[in-house]
Amino acid sequence: MKHRLRTTFQNTNFVVGFSILVLLLLLTFVTPLFMQGSPLDMVGTLFNKPGNYVNRMGVIDAPKYPMSIEVASIRLGAAVSNDEAKQMLEWLEKSELDVEWKGLDPEKDRAAIVELFLANYDDSIRLPGTSAYRKGFTRLYNKVQNLLSADGYVVHVADPDSESGYREVGKIESRDFTNVKDVPARRFFLLGTDNFGRDVFHELISAIGNSLMVGLIAGSIATTIGLLIGLTSGYVGGWLDNFLTFVTNMFTVIPSFVILILLSYSISSSSRSIVVVAFVIGLTAWPWTARSVRSQTLTLKNRDHVNISRLSGFGTVRIIVTDILPYVLSYVVMAYILQISSAILAEAQLSMLGLGPSTTTHATLGLMLSWSMQFQAPLSGAWWAFIPVVLSIALISFSMNLMNTGLDQVFNPTLR
Amino acid sequence: MKRYGKLLSILLAVLMFAGLLAACGGSPATTAAPTTKATEAKKTEAEKTEAEKTEAEKTEAEKTEAEETEAPATEAPETDAPETEADDDGPATPDLEGDDPDQLPRKETLYYNGRQWGPVNSMNPLSNSHNLNMFFEESSLTTLLFYESLYMYNQNDGLLYPLLADGDYIEEDGVYTIKIKEAARWSDGEPLTAEDVVFTYEVNAFCNTSQAVAMQYISEIVALDEKTVQITADKDNYNPLKILEYFPQMHIYPKHQLGALVDSYDGDIEAIKNDYNEGAIGSGPYKPYHFDNTKIVFIRDDNYWGQDESMWGKLPAPKYIAHNIFSDNNAGSVAFQQGEVDMAQQFMPQVWKMWEDGLPVSTYLDEPPYYIGAQMPSAGFNVTRPGLDNATVRRALAMAIDYDQIGEAAMSGYTLPMVPALVNCTEPERAKVDMDALKPLQWTGKQVDEANALLDEAGIVDTDGDGIREVDGVKLEFQVECPAGWTDWNAALEIVAAAGKELGMELSTYFPERTVYYDDIQTGNFDIAMISYASASPINPWLRSYQTLYSDGGANLTAERVFTNYSRYSNERVDELIDLIPTETDEDKLIEYYTELNEIYLTDVPTIPLMYRPSSFHTVNESVWTNFPEANDGRNIPPNILAQGYSIAGLYDLELVDP
Repeated sequence: MKHRLRTTFQNTNFVVGFSILVLLLLLTFVTPLFMQGSPLDMVGTLFNKPGNYVNRMGVIDAPKYPMSIEVASIRLGAAVSNDEAKQMLEWLEKSELDVEWKGLDPEKDRAAIVELFLANYDDSIRLPGTSAYRKGFTRLYNKVQNLLSADGYVVHVADPDSESGYREVGKIESRDFTNVKDVPARRFFLLGTDNFGRDVFHELISAIGNSLMVGLIAGSIATTIGLLIGLTSGYVGGWLDNFLTFVTNMFTVIPSFVILILLSYSISSSSRSIVVVAFVIGLTAWPWTARSVRSQTLTLKNRDHVNISRLSGFGTVRIIVTDILPYVLSYVVMAYILQISSAILAEAQLSMLGLGPSTTTHATLGLMLSWSMQFQAPLSGAWWAFIPVVLSIALISFSMNLMNTGLDQVFNPTLR
Repeated sequence: MKRYGKLLSILLAVLMFAGLLAACGGSPATTAAPTTKATEAKKTEAEKTEAEKTEAEKTEAEKTEAEETEAPATEAPETDAPETEADDDGPATPDLEGDDPDQLPRKETLYYNGRQWGPVNSMNPLSNSHNLNMFFEESSLTTLLFYESLYMYNQNDGLLYPLLADGDYIEEDGVYTIKIKEAARWSDGEPLTAEDVVFTYEVNAFCNTSQAVAMQYISEIVALDEKTVQITADKDNYNPLKILEYFPQMHIYPKHQLGALVDSYDGDIEAIKNDYNEGAIGSGPYKPYHFDNTKIVFIRDDNYWGQDESMWGKLPAPKYIAHNIFSDNNAGSVAFQQGEVDMAQQFMPQVWKMWEDGLPVSTYLDEPPYYIGAQMPSAGFNVTRPGLDNATVRRALAMAIDYDQIGEAAMSGYTLPMVPALVNCTEPERAKVDMDALKPLQWTGKQVDEANALLDEAGIVDTDGDGIREVDGVKLEFQVECPAGWTDWNAALEIVAAAGKELGMELSTYFPERTVYYDDIQTGNFDIAMISYASASPINPWLRSYQTLYSDGGANLTAERVFTNYSRYSNERVDELIDLIPTETDEDKLIEYYTELNEIYLTDVPTIPLMYRPSSFHTVNESVWTNFPEANDGRNIPPNILAQGYSIAGLYDLELVDP
């Protein structure tokens, strides 16, 4: 036993797979300690992109440090791309105004182009073309409108006592800087937010844990049941085999998802926790394992070593455990891994019918994926809402497959 | 052994079957699961018969249902494969001269999405289950491509514009006289006459369609001459709003064609409704051209009467109107982004990303909220449920919900800030209520602490320490229901459930199939459900108030099915007010009534309005066509996808980007 364990851990495939899984588990246990709030808090809005968010009022409140850094060109560069500069030139050309725009280079003379555009842009000039084309210029104008002003911004607060209804509280000049650390209200979103405005990273960590749990519990139950039934019916045979095969076939014929739905529905929504859902999934996913194990057992049953054990007077249970189980184990582990990943997906489907763990109480990989698809994340370029989820699912199955291959290499005599 | 084996298997099979039957029979909601085609078909059938058995008031509400059915644009396609056998290319497609429907000339075709999720199942406007929204939808914003109504409703200014009618109607003492345009005729050349209008009102009542209720308020409708209709209001049941409602709503049907069909069945209503109505004739600018499992195509009627100077003076620009049947919202959005769809009518989150990416895409408004809100999808309580019969519980939930989050996240910012009342966010509706007087009763949302205090004060506390409050011994555990796949509604309800969690209420979301959802809300088999009453309408906010609150003296409490007031709310004073408003002409008095109604509504909270939703997600891609209507472009064409109500005027102004 010790030797086997050692050889298992000397196998590269197994070790790599195992480490990935352990890392994932570690991630789900350790990171929550450093996160604030619950993973289900809706803090942001629809698909905020990843990054560090600081409160804008906090920036105004924070102490300012005048610095002599040339800001205007940086702002210009960030706000106006090369294409946008070209767009401005296009407007200047098509508007047929009497403006000297020729010879301006969108790359070098960006400031001059913006200045010229701002000075001449007129909403009422209707360029030929589509409305979307014209609106593009209006948007561009609104975007760069304040870009060149060197006077900075003036900050007001509402003040009902004053004549104008506002009171000036400060000025922001172009050379004012603030240390981000001085802004008290900030939040770092490593993977942005999802469609509910929840922190995807935080949610993902929690979801990996939950989905692994569903997968492991459901997979274990399904595999155990399948294994028990398969081994018994295969080895014992006779009327017990007939009966068990009949039951297995019955469950194979009825789509397991239908049974799954019937079962979930009969459980009241409040008692439908992650564990219960995992149980329900496990109880419906075993038939294929049972069938394959049975047929493998049938072929093993008349092998010499089994006959010798039988002649030696060993009991049925002992023969099954020592002479048959080890030979089907590598298949069973593979099936187990498939069970785990299909359980993770089954949970997702159930959740979307409102029959699984609910979005408000749990985060699971399936729910995250479904919501991001419903909100068309791929179309609006919100990669952070679904790619990390897909990667996590892939990583989980990958690590398990690696472990399976490793185990196979250790246990399978033909590969040794 | 073998014999026993067989016996055993038979026995087991019987047992298994019995078990299955028991499981299915147990609860109606087991159908929540993927219902098979057969059960679904049966269901509609059952609903239909049910509807026919009962009386008129019912049909009234079926209309609401119809309105709702089309409302949520986000609704995921029903996976129903062809609902009838009639939709192979064969009988459904009339033979007309034109281009190959698989290769329509792009520059003569206007493509839609978000209006049709399955192949056409019937051309019969009298059927309750037809699915051809682009032709048959009847609401205040009636679809006017094939059949036409007397007037067109413009949600921008709230006015009625004559279509088949010649000028405004004349009302004297409850008698309405409407002239029909001289030029108006059917696509087969027959003149459209007053007889057709009379026939339409009568056949709807006879077949108990969703428009049947119109006749309940009318004592007599006659054709004075070939082009003049006279409608006399029922003096005992006098409700001018209910007469006005149908002018822009009811499609006028051809007596010489549909009447012949009806006559051929000898009064067998069921048989009439089941007829496919091949060779349907309309008066509108488009005719059916080609239907199959992947698309529907309409072709322009080049003899359309509307090119007469008394109407449009010309033909609409696109020769074909086509709608591909997409598998889901995502597929529709991709096609729209690629310029394969010109006019989108589906919920596309973050629509601004499209123009930021340089696509020629525009919405009606160029600034947030991009669309014009008209509907108010609301969380409706079943006030007969123990726990939810307590107004404090309902109010606490209303206070705790984060409406901004619903607007920003679930609705992608396409809504104005929520101001709870029975009026939507448009000026004409808000002007009918003294909004300042409602201020003390209105909640602002996200008031979790206040809501918790309110519950504590009312003695609704958690006595057994499980984190869930109880009221009169009932745990506050409820299901929040809405059809699966209606993305923005689903997400909004998740946010509602999250608010419940903060209050010590366990709200679990439940997203069944659409048919199950309708069954549940009609029969009262729900706790809390997403409900959307009347959208833009010339008789709002009365209609919305009526649909939300009217109990007809408590009759809704005993009714097996209801089609309005799904909350089963009942209040004598409310009924009185709703009866008073239609006949009141004094503006000040009206404001007084509406304000009182809203005060009761905000005190009793039978529903919580969650967002303002546009009646259509009018989004255009100018890859091929341009000159679509926009806000403040001086044309006053509303954003109803160039097909509904006065929006159809926009079809005549379309131009090619690259002629």
